[in-house]
Amino acid sequence: MKDLRFLCTLLFGVAVVLFFGMAYPHHLHYQEQYQLFLFDLGYVWEIVKLPGGLADLLGRFCTQFFLFAWVGATIIGILLSVVQLLTLRLTDWGRLYGLSYVPAFLLWLFLLDENALFGGVWAVVLTLLASWGFDKLRCGWTRRILLVIAIPLLYWMAGPVCIVFFLLQAPRPQRIPWYYGLFILLAVLPVLLSFYLPVSADKLWFGIHYHRYPTVFPSLLWSASLSIFVLTLIARGLHHWANASHRIVATLCSFGLVFAIMLAFVWKNTNSKAEKVMQYDFMARHQQWNRILETINAEKPNNPIGVTVQNLALAMHGLLPDHLFEYNQNGISGLFPSVERDATSPLPTAEVFYQLGMINVAQRTVFEAQEAILDFQKSARCYKRLAQTNLINGDYEVSRKYLTALQKTLFYSDWANETLPLLGDEDAISKHPEYGRLRQMAYKEDFYFSDHTTCQMLQNLFLSNTDNRLAYDYLLAYCLLTGDRETYYYVTSIKQ
Amino acid sequence: MKKHLHILTLLLAVALLFMSSCTNHPDVPSSSKAVKSLPDIFPDYCDVTVPCNIAPLNFMLPSDRYAACVARISTPDGQQRTYGQGVKVQIPESDWHTILHASTGKSIKVEVWGKTAKSESEQNGEWLSFSPFEIHVAEEPIDEYISYRLIEPSYVAWDYMEIAQRHLTTFEETQIFNNEITCVDKTKGQCINCHSYQNYKTDNMLFHVRLSNGGTVLVNDGKVSKVNMKRDYTISSGVYPAWHPTAKVIALSTNKTRQGFHTADPNKIEVYDMASDMILYDIATDSVIVVSADTTLLEVYPTWSPDGRYLYYCKSVPLPEELAGKDIRSTYQKVQYNLYRRSFDEPTLSFGEEELVYDAASQDKSATLPRISPDGHYLLFAQGRYGCFHIRHLDADILCMALDDEAAPDIDISKLNSEGFPDSYPSWSSNGHWIMCASRRDDSNYCRVYFSYFKDGKAEKAFMMPQEDPEHHTFFLKSYNRPEFMVEPVRISVDEFSKVFTD
Repeated sequence: MKDLRFLCTLLFGVAVVLFFGMAYPHHLHYQEQYQLFLFDLGYVWEIVKLPGGLADLLGRFCTQFFLFAWVGATIIGILLSVVQLLTLRLTDWGRLYGLSYVPAFLLWLFLLDENALFGGVWAVVLTLLASWGFDKLRCGWTRRILLVIAIPLLYWMAGPVCIVFFLLQAPRPQRIPWYYGLFILLAVLPVLLSFYLPVSADKLWFGIHYHRYPTVFPSLLWSASLSIFVLTLIARGLHHWANASHRIVATLCSFGLVFAIMLAFVWKNTNSKAEKVMQYDFMARHQQWNRILETINAEKPNNPIGVTVQNLALAMHGLLPDHLFEYNQNGISGLFPSVERDATSPLPTAEVFYQLGMINVAQRTVFEAQEAILDFQKSARCYKRLAQTNLINGDYEVSRKYLTALQKTLFYSDWANETLPLLGDEDAISKHPEYGRLRQMAYKEDFYFSDHTTCQMLQNLFLSNTDNRLAYDYLLAYCLLTGDRETYYYVTSIKQ
Repeated sequence: MKKHLHILTLLLAVALLFMSSCTNHPDVPSSSKAVKSLPDIFPDYCDVTVPCNIAPLNFMLPSDRYAACVARISTPDGQQRTYGQGVKVQIPESDWHTILHASTGKSIKVEVWGKTAKSESEQNGEWLSFSPFEIHVAEEPIDEYISYRLIEPSYVAWDYMEIAQRHLTTFEETQIFNNEITCVDKTKGQCINCHSYQNYKTDNMLFHVRLSNGGTVLVNDGKVSKVNMKRDYTISSGVYPAWHPTAKVIALSTNKTRQGFHTADPNKIEVYDMASDMILYDIATDSVIVVSADTTLLEVYPTWSPDGRYLYYCKSVPLPEELAGKDIRSTYQKVQYNLYRRSFDEPTLSFGEEELVYDAASQDKSATLPRISPDGHYLLFAQGRYGCFHIRHLDADILCMALDDEAAPDIDISKLNSEGFPDSYPSWSSNGHWIMCASRRDDSNYCRVYFSYFKDGKAEKAFMMPQEDPEHHTFFLKSYNRPEFMVEPVRISVDEFSKVFTD
């Protein structure tokens, strides 16, 4: 029976890994790019000094591994399996074994939202670990004292979802006086803290860092958390019935039923459109131009970001003017989408500006993208690009600031260490395949960037350096999309 | 009970002893190679003049070239102390204030030794002894507090920002206000900007917030409220403020401000006004009086003379005829401001005729951000070649001119300025002996606060606001915006300020 349950958990964990590794990998990349985890005491302190801080810290620590989707998927798989195993240990589920998967499935559903933060999952895990640990303690004064200490401590570590810990301790009749005592303690905590912390009271009640949007109430996370208590109550209430005969068959049936229903929910709520957009963004970020061509040839993109990235990849291969109309187009927005203050559009747009040699514009777009991160986090991807744009512009000291910060990361430190010696080394920069090329392509004459002077911008860029093939291709594409024959002939005559 | 108290005292004493033993007093290297140059310390405190109540001037040698640093500090009374841990020299506050006390009106001698980092050729770094330098300690103290907005040097979008206050005698920094509380939803949140105090005191102060719930947060005799200064006849609500030194009136500019983004210019951003006027806000009657509203010219950056009898401000000169009426994005380099003033009659709240104070345009320059010294003899302002937002102009410097015959005949504040980086937003301490400015001199991007001693028309070498960790400003990715002197801290809490947005 134990082995069978182990197999079921394993099956669940593998399903989670396969889902995030195969169907949702770019959601994980998306998560990773909107944070900057630093191995720095000051950074850690800024996180853990707020309620829910430890869960948040662990969530951010894990999220940095999402740069590699399969590693991220494995971490999620393990953590959700731990949630299921800890839920299972709360009571004897008997025939209702399948219900022990519901909280983990709800967390899976929670993680389908690209703005759900992984710290939320850690908050549930910490809460369950605390409950499990307390269930192992004998009743007595030591336990009671520890319980009083644990409530505020757990609130500080995991945030308000730790209410489940309190609820799980409550229902046993002999603990009724404690129940009220703990209830008062838990209720008073956020009220007291709201006077001393620079955090609004509602965040202290509902969680500071469970979701990237500060105004969004993470209902699925709370459902997952509260379901642990409700389902445990049900299992305890139906104890005699649940533990009747034919347990193996019943166990398998309940597991199969819950697994099928919840999996259907997961599939129904999967946002494959967003995944597609994120895939294009990911490919542009890593300059996977061949892979982009393969992808657009297999399925022509029909989202604005996809079209932008498609055109950039075509231009990088010198195919843009000749093959422009073989693919879906989105007018001139397909070349340069207008810079919106949202989470998805600025970064691929900035990639186009950067590759064309519009360094100041790329820098501004990336800076704005970082400022638009709703939970005030910084972005390793943005830091990297800002270090590059400042390096190309010759603003070495500013570049050094970003590089020094990236030296404190796990996955960007090597790159930062390799790039730091370039600062101030004009010769090395001019010989660098990327930075040297982009310096040559850059604008020679200054003018104001505007969203409405795209043709002029491209023309100036091309005239600054007529060897800038990318600018030439984009300019021709612009003329073709707008029907501007005059500029088309003018530009082609210069090139000839 | 008595026994417990004894134990507690003993524990405290042990703790204090332990803490004091944490201070590193290394030995001076027994042998070293003399280098005939000043040490390359950050921040650069070599031969600066500092106030007698400033926080410790902690500094460091560059960590990529040095492995260790030792500094020996000698005071005029013959006392010597050594400090250094790694490449940093961090002096405990109590030690530092003893040093300052012993050196007030005189100088501190600082000798620095640096151990070079190991290289491939050298297995062990060698100790270098640099030329000693002095830190002159002025008798005049600096105002104990300053406040500033901490902000990413961003373009259009804004993130978390705060107005903070710093106690200059220590390293204590506290928040006056932050936008997180009112900014949980960015579409409903606010950008915080210009703050101002009446005569260096904080019982009467204000700061602006923009966008959702926008307006001016006003503290009047310690009571917080939010007011809206926008009227049908003004182009915007109040923007750049200046409290009258004694009366409950505030002069403000009203601005229609825009930004442009350069494609190649190293200045990167251009902030300009499409239109700007000036108003006077009367707190008692909540009324807005138009001071000037010339539709063809731009008036901005009001400031009062210390006696409150004059209002100084900047005003653009008319554009050449051929450029008049053209898009400002093509004419911005021709927009130049002069400094003017008008007399002010407090009982009637009326202004006299306009007088030209400084003609920058005739020198093909643009003058902004005037500030009058507390004795009324000097006028500080920022000057660049064009425009009104000099903190983004690499050529911007701070200038000083005499306002009357009592000013020193030879004014020289060149030591305050940097070469080739923006220096802007000058202000005077309440005793008129310290000039503060915001400067991007360290990396051209992030504004830092600099102070300079001013006496008899001369400014001494500027020094960066000290930080407990001398490396702080290397990593800190925020700009110090609009630094203002205060003689006392703001006592109203962030929460109390936030309530005006929710009430």
